[in-house]
Amino acid sequence: MKNILKILRTEKGWSQAALAEKLDVSRQSINAIETGKYDPSLPLAFAIARLFGRPIEEIFDDEVELASAAE
Amino acid sequence: MSQRGFRTAKRRYHYLFWPLMGVYTVLVFATSFLVDTNTAPTWLKITSALAVTLPLFGVLYAMRRQTEETDEYTRMRQLQAMRDGGLITAACAFLVGFLQIFEVLDFISVFWFGPLFFISYGLSFCTQNFGKVV
Repeated sequence: MKNILKILRTEKGWSQAALAEKLDVSRQSINAIETGKYDPSLPLAFAIARLFGRPIEEIFDDEVELASAAE
Repeated sequence: MSQRGFRTAKRRYHYLFWPLMGVYTVLVFATSFLVDTNTAPTWLKITSALAVTLPLFGVLYAMRRQTEETDEYTRMRQLQAMRDGGLITAACAFLVGFLQIFEVLDFISVFWFGPLFFISYGLSFCTQNFGKVV
């Protein structure tokens, strides 16, 4: 699943470690989410959305949905 | 499942792990120096074995509790490493068992399967992100 977490984080001037601390997860978790290696659970996705004040669908993009929409 | 977050889980794990490992180390040295396996009575041998093993049970409990309490990504990585460690240990136990049944090996202490689990668990955990910038 693609996401704009890295963009949102750098806009705020936060490091991965700083964001990880705010969400109480490991820095590796943030890296894995940003690079698309790991999709967060709904509670974590909601926590991220709340932290950045945006709806979940604005942060996370379902590639399957995008591909089918393109067809 | 009682998730407490990465930092709290890590702190609670270390608060339990290090004192227990300290007790374990002291007991291993104490029992190995004080208990003569040739002359000691059976009750003393059993008591010594239990005393040395109990801190390890505590460490296993700490590992279990941390997987419950930590964040979801760390939990996934830990469980994957435990899976690999468990499977490697089981595979080695079967191999050694059959080598003994076919009388290729005489005797290998069951004790070594414990360290084998922890080594394979640790290696699996550390190598999950080889080649990745995480």
